Amino acid sequence: MNEDIINIDHVSFCYKGASKGLLNDVSLKIRKGETVLLCGASGSGKTTIIRLVNGLIPHYYSGDLQGDVTVAGRDIRNTELYDLAGVVGTVFQNPRSQFFSIDTDGEIVFGPENIGLPPEEIKKRFADVKDEMQLQELLGRSIFGLSGGEKQRIACASVSALLPEVMLLDEPSSNLDIKAMNDLSNAVARWKGQGKTVIISEHRLWYVAPLVDRVIYMENGRIAHEWTGEEFRSLGKQKIKELKLRPVEFDPNETADTADASVSEDAVVIRDMYFSYNEKPHVIRRRKFSDYDEKDLDLNIPELRLPKGKVIAVVGHNGTGKSTFFRGVCGLLKRCTGTITADGKVYKGKERLRLCYMVMQDVNHQLFTDSVENEVLLSMEEEDKGRCEEILDSLGILEFKDKHPMALSGGQKQRVAVASAIASGAKLLLFDEPTSGLDYSHMEKVGSLLRKLADSGHTILVSTHDPELIAESCDYILKIEDGKVESLTRK
Amino acid sequence: MEMKLDPRTKLFMVLIVSTIVMMSATTPLLWAVRILITLIPLVLLVAEKKYSSALKFFLLYVTALVVNFVVLVNSDGGIVVSLLTGYCGIVVQFMPSVITAWYFIRTTKTDEFISAMQKMHVPDGLTISLAVVMRFFPTIAEEYRHINDAMKMRGIVLGGGNVVKMVEFRMIPLLFSCVNIGDELSAAAVTRGLGGTVKRSSVVDLRLTVKDIFMMALFLSAAILFIAVKYIR
Amino acid sequence: MDKSKKLTAKDFITIGIFTAIIFVVEMAVGMTGYIHPYIVAGYVVLLPLVCGIPMMLYYTKIEKFGMLTIMSVLMAIIMFVTGMGYLGAPLIILTGLIADLIAKSGGYKSYKKTVISNAFMSLWVCANYFPILVTADSYRKSLIEGGFSEDYANSLFRAVNPKTIGILVIVCFIFGIIGAVLGKKVVRKHFEKAGIV
Repeated sequence: MNEDIINIDHVSFCYKGASKGLLNDVSLKIRKGETVLLCGASGSGKTTIIRLVNGLIPHYYSGDLQGDVTVAGRDIRNTELYDLAGVVGTVFQNPRSQFFSIDTDGEIVFGPENIGLPPEEIKKRFADVKDEMQLQELLGRSIFGLSGGEKQRIACASVSALLPEVMLLDEPSSNLDIKAMNDLSNAVARWKGQGKTVIISEHRLWYVAPLVDRVIYMENGRIAHEWTGEEFRSLGKQKIKELKLRPVEFDPNETADTADASVSEDAVVIRDMYFSYNEKPHVIRRRKFSDYDEKDLDLNIPELRLPKGKVIAVVGHNGTGKSTFFRGVCGLLKRCTGTITADGKVYKGKERLRLCYMVMQDVNHQLFTDSVENEVLLSMEEEDKGRCEEILDSLGILEFKDKHPMALSGGQKQRVAVASAIASGAKLLLFDEPTSGLDYSHMEKVGSLLRKLADSGHTILVSTHDPELIAESCDYILKIEDGKVESLTRK
Repeated sequence: MEMKLDPRTKLFMVLIVSTIVMMSATTPLLWAVRILITLIPLVLLVAEKKYSSALKFFLLYVTALVVNFVVLVNSDGGIVVSLLTGYCGIVVQFMPSVITAWYFIRTTKTDEFISAMQKMHVPDGLTISLAVVMRFFPTIAEEYRHINDAMKMRGIVLGGGNVVKMVEFRMIPLLFSCVNIGDELSAAAVTRGLGGTVKRSSVVDLRLTVKDIFMMALFLSAAILFIAVKYIR
Repeated sequence: MDKSKKLTAKDFITIGIFTAIIFVVEMAVGMTGYIHPYIVAGYVVLLPLVCGIPMMLYYTKIEKFGMLTIMSVLMAIIMFVTGMGYLGAPLIILTGLIADLIAKSGGYKSYKKTVISNAFMSLWVCANYFPILVTADSYRKSLIEGGFSEDYANSLFRAVNPKTIGILVIVCFIFGIIGAVLGKKVVRKHFEKAGIV
């Protein structure tokens, strides 16, 4: 058991076109059967290490590579990617973009077919993987109808079917809810049990922390700390916080105070918000949603009072109607009924678009222009450069004024989107999973941004799976279940 | 009813249908052939449990057909009527190939498609590209929906009345997204062995059965009949 | 890794993605053609202009021989399958091959050659008109019998006929050049500034 399966020997790497190196003289040996966690801030070199092991560096991402990487006796530099397919398997961050097939079955056998295994062998592996990972209900489905968590389970199965000795996971939980993270944790435990070598690069630590044998802490392209799993788990909350890591233990901070918060005076009030994806057929005129059976409604909110100027966390499993709720509130769902009353003014239908602004989970979809400044000006009724600079300054992104929004980091892009929201005069700001895939310090920044926005009079709805964010930055918790408000509680 | 056809059969049907739609139907017999080759893929869609799309196509096609025949016969001008018949004409004309192409795309899994192409000795590269094209349409639609939402929130759906901006605001985020997804998709595919030198195997065992041969013969004779009646007579 | 000029799996995926994008653009623009037949003739202006943006981005992505030829083969197949006139299919592939050779002669880097190459590549738009020309009489008949008004057919043939096709091809070529120049500007403004290409 003590033989090294991965040997990274004095490796430095710099992406093509980048000025500074991402890895500086890193050496790391990993023993067969070990489960290793790579942690550290974004840009510290975690993903680069993963890419060194699966051969994407240097075969897919080119750059200046020094030093040697050996995986299961193969020199990575001289091994083609397709020869590594049966040796190293990788589960990537983004579930929506790692599928080649359009159906789940095809995706699971995609790898084995590529490496030309005999059909009987593939069928056997398919059956094994299906049983092991309990995929029955996911088989024979279209990829486009799956939730993020389900996609990630299929991605794990697809890699598993290649029976690689080394499993790599590159921030796999970024788009998952808590239940899906537990599924992922089970998958890792299973691989560990099968004696596979597992390397996980991750910001969210609680779901893998109990399983790891060794923890590598990366900082500025170097290995800064190394602990055994035991040592790491007993570091204590304070130390973890100092290291700018997310919590190691799951703290669901279920509000003990289950009494519904009554929001009386200053409130943003949502009334009669109904919507259904499956509209009943109509002959002459559409049926009113109030005639619908409750179970046919995907959004069913007779009245909801949101405390003004507060940060409200919106929780609930994926697929319980959070994003439908958000789109409904914003006025993006065509047939969604309802009004929002804010500051004594009633907003109906499309007028809601003027009151609300949603910062999307994939913020790339909402950046349109060629500079940060233009992006903000685009949102203003009348261009006002002075106010634009003010807004950018308050968000700490004034220095990027002339840069292309797409050239910025994820967190900075988010701020650009927030800046245009403020410029548009929106009072109700909605954030869809703003901290998924962020490291601790970036999450902290988002948290203080939310607070600041709330303090300046904005009402904030933020959908999130991060207990840390709720604990540190939210005032209320709104629980959505099956398109209905289950509870609104003060934290 | 179990009615799974070989992808090659489906492709053959697509080819025949797209040939026939290029020619217009002039006699009741020709109309019958046209309608027959439209109804068969619809029935096959139902057999593959794609009920809702089958129903939608069926209603659209039948409506267009009825409007086309009834209104056209009693038509005496009027802009609305001519516009209406124009649209219905288009539907009647091209619907058969749309339905057949839809049937092919919706009921052919990626690995079935790849192994069918392999059996027809299509080069691997072309097959990969084609498979990606098929897989990517829904992705583009998904991305576009998000971008459209974002444009609505910004109130720039019409680009402030500027056509160039209208195109730019849609195209730029879409291209950024597609390039990103493409990079990640390629990375995920190559780490699972795509593009290797070994011959790709497949769990789908493609074999032309009686059903396939029957269907091909049926479509081939439809085409021959159509051409014979129309041009030789 | 420029170790080989051969297309890799990644390149084939990129080709597929951009073909899908071009086709979606074609469908979106194509829808407007049913409003008035003159717009059908206007495809030679609209399509090269709009497609200029994705095409110019595409030129920066692969830079290997085959990228345009394969794309044109895919376009031809899609055209064929969707019943949009397979008479034009060989023409599409031919112009794609020419475009590929021109771009190759500039090493896929030369701005001028890329622009000319895109102009040839744009000619696939004209291949759509092919059935209108070759089978003019029967096509006209089929349009009218197919439910189009006589006006529509007349206007269509006024706009697209053997006399105007030469002009249409030239216009298409010119707008292929303009589309490339504008597309390149957009690519510089956005993608190069953002550091993507």
